[in-house]
Amino acid sequence: MWARVIEVMLGCWLAISPFIFRHSEEDRVLWFSDLFAAMVVIILALVSFWPPLRFAHVANLVIALWLIGFGFWASPYPSPPALQNDIVVGLLLLMFAIIPNQATRPPRSWRVFYARKSNNVTAAV
Amino acid sequence: MSETQADIPDLNANAPPWKHNPSSWRQRIPICVLAGIAFLIASYMALYQWRLIGDVWDPIFGEQTRHVLDSDVSENMRRWFRIPDAALGALAYLGDLIFGLAGSTRRWQYRPWLVLLFGLDVIPLGIVSAVLVVMQGTVVGAWCFLCLVTAVISLILVALAYDEVWSTLLYLKRVWRKTRSRRALWNVFWGRASRAADEVALA
Repeated sequence: MWARVIEVMLGCWLAISPFIFRHSEEDRVLWFSDLFAAMVVIILALVSFWPPLRFAHVANLVIALWLIGFGFWASPYPSPPALQNDIVVGLLLLMFAIIPNQATRPPRSWRVFYARKSNNVTAAV
Repeated sequence: MSETQADIPDLNANAPPWKHNPSSWRQRIPICVLAGIAFLIASYMALYQWRLIGDVWDPIFGEQTRHVLDSDVSENMRRWFRIPDAALGALAYLGDLIFGLAGSTRRWQYRPWLVLLFGLDVIPLGIVSAVLVVMQGTVVGAWCFLCLVTAVISLILVALAYDEVWSTLLYLKRVWRKTRSRRALWNVFWGRASRAADEVALA
């Protein structure tokens, strides 16, 4: 579950980004984008710990694409630091969001397959 | 149905066509360490391109590193991607590290998508970045010691990583030969178990 933990950290970074990059009061969209993305990223990462919602973290890909797209198109070149931050965090999220929950074990499908197989063998004996 | 460790076959089995397991930690940890070093170096250069640090270290070419990092080529890359090219390189190396760490020691069979993604990040991207660094020397007319170090690391990573990618491609080919079904191949690619895949994996 290390990828989920890092997603929560990225979410926390996004949540404090408006204060670190000093978004101006008028820039409501930038404030909203960072804080909303932070909230969704953290929630999706955390609910992935609950087995029925174990694939919820994949939805973080949408947030990642949003952050990259927003960072890219919200301002002409050169992008201000706050938007470059969005692009970098989006790219990081893109990589972490696809990592499975129990990454160091074989996928569930294979574990079930082998469990069935060995049960059949036992039944036959 | 209970799942016990005993039900899962040997996770350290050798992967055809090799006499070793290319997904073992012994093979993957060195890749991750090297990618981590390259990530730190590229991040350091990105800090300079962001002007978060004022100067950049170069024991051999001195001033030339700054010419490379502030060159028109680099500026154009920044115009396209909006972030410094060194930051992009750092993210790619971090990707090598992340995709290198994820997966079991038999991921060449159980998670083909992950191994191929890792392979795409290490092999084509690594070769392209190494070529770009060498081109900097010829186009910009200046050399950058740390860039050359990362280019060498990229090429070493290619050499260390290709065997695992090859095992996965061979495995997918065997699944295709056995089933001749795109659907079966698709399922195996995404790590869904099947009898056919189980039979051909170590054959």
